[in-house]
Amino acid sequence: MFGQYNSTFRYESGDFLVESERADGLLTYRRRCEERAFERILAVSETARVTVNPVEPVNLPKDITDLLQIEFAPIVIEPGATQVIYLKFPVEIGVFLSSEKGIEILDIFSAGNQKYTLYGPPAGGVIARWYRSAVYPEIPPAERFREGVMKLSIQNTSGEWAHVSCVVFNGADMKIFYNDDIVAATATMKIINPSLAETDFTDAPLIPGMTRSVELYTTRKIRVISRGYLMEWGLS
Amino acid sequence: MLSLTATLGTSIGIGTITIGDILWFVGIIAVGVIIAKVVALNVRRALTERLPKSERELLAKVVYYIIILWAIAVALPYLNFDLSGLLVAGGIVGLVIGFASQSVVSNLVSGLFLMFEHPIKIGDNINVAGITGSVEDIRILSTIVKTYDGIYTRIPNEKVFTSNITNYVHNAARRFDYKIRIRYRDDADEAIRITKEVIATHPFALKNPAPSVFVYDLGENGINLTAYIWAPTRNWWEVRTTLLWKIVKRLEENGIIVPLPQRAVWLADESRTSGGDAGAGKVEE
Repeated sequence: MFGQYNSTFRYESGDFLVESERADGLLTYRRRCEERAFERILAVSETARVTVNPVEPVNLPKDITDLLQIEFAPIVIEPGATQVIYLKFPVEIGVFLSSEKGIEILDIFSAGNQKYTLYGPPAGGVIARWYRSAVYPEIPPAERFREGVMKLSIQNTSGEWAHVSCVVFNGADMKIFYNDDIVAATATMKIINPSLAETDFTDAPLIPGMTRSVELYTTRKIRVISRGYLMEWGLS
Repeated sequence: MLSLTATLGTSIGIGTITIGDILWFVGIIAVGVIIAKVVALNVRRALTERLPKSERELLAKVVYYIIILWAIAVALPYLNFDLSGLLVAGGIVGLVIGFASQSVVSNLVSGLFLMFEHPIKIGDNINVAGITGSVEDIRILSTIVKTYDGIYTRIPNEKVFTSNITNYVHNAARRFDYKIRIRYRDDADEAIRITKEVIATHPFALKNPAPSVFVYDLGENGINLTAYIWAPTRNWWEVRTTLLWKIVKRLEENGIIVPLPQRAVWLADESRTSGGDAGAGKVEE
């Protein structure tokens, strides 16, 4: 399903149907995903292309936050140590229309349900998309239309032991890559003290040769300066 | 032909004011206006992403008028206007104007305090002075609130500033609760489990702080459960209005019914007509 298509195409597999077909002189885009359907009539030129790829998973069911929180089993990290782990993150699929005049988001969908949480206290905390992942020592198998794999490098730069059981990212910084097997991202978490950490994404594929996704924040013409996220409400 | 110097030195017949003085006055005011406009424009541009529109406009206007006043103060001596006299006269006039415009000044100052203290922003849902709605604009003298039924309401800033302000969206999340009544014969633990399960399916019923469902009290007509649910402030109403019916339907699917008000009746001959369990025997409504 991921990739670039001419204005008419069709992909159907299991719970997913994504197609764009011309009928009665009208080009119509249709999507069905787990009984949720979406349809739009497209008025585009012959040269227009449709791009389908994973996007930052902070848009559904509606865009209320940029933050993504992944919770996992607690990890204790000794002072000065670095630990690389693999986590899974939710995948949202973006459908883009592109032409010589620019690029526009047409549809965002995903399999499964979303859940949101409050990171921090009710006064001062922030809303984040929530996801629970197991911790893997190496790249785990993942169904790429539902879950992505994140390589997370946790570095404890403090002089104290740190207990970590969640990581919060700014979704606007997310760099997602995909190939025929997996969707992936690479991130870092720098622990400053046992209750403060900096997180950021690395603009590099997990596996050489992966294709970089078109990002929502690029198409929305919002200039994003990658500045990471400061986890100031604790690491668990 | 008169020379330029002589022309500029010509008196206009009011005191010793010359054409040159008039030109100086006009020139200084014109330059002041231009500088004020340029500075105000740059203030707006510089603060575009840092301040909300209302505050930006207010600040730009304040800067604009300060520069204009400065230009007038610099230009007035060319018209032989004695500013020290103005100060005395201004003091008296100011006193009169002060008394007359007490409420205006009070609103203005309150508006400035509101700007600095920041208890509300444009778009916030608030309750102030008994008026509930969303803030449409915060102006120099007043705050505009659109009530939830779409009514335009202007509240003087002094009233806003001196009233208790409830800002419903100041924090990222807020809590709401449901009261759910079940029959005494129903399993409260099961009802709590089902309720939690339904809450967990809603994306915006927050994972943390975790929802809390518990037996609140034993009522006359059934067991009263309470559910506390946290939701993003901007979406809480949507969650509040969709979740309750889902919970009720799921409870009913599992045989847990919300009971009607009922009362067990005992007859004088002590023959028992009710099972002693509300909702389980003969009842009177």
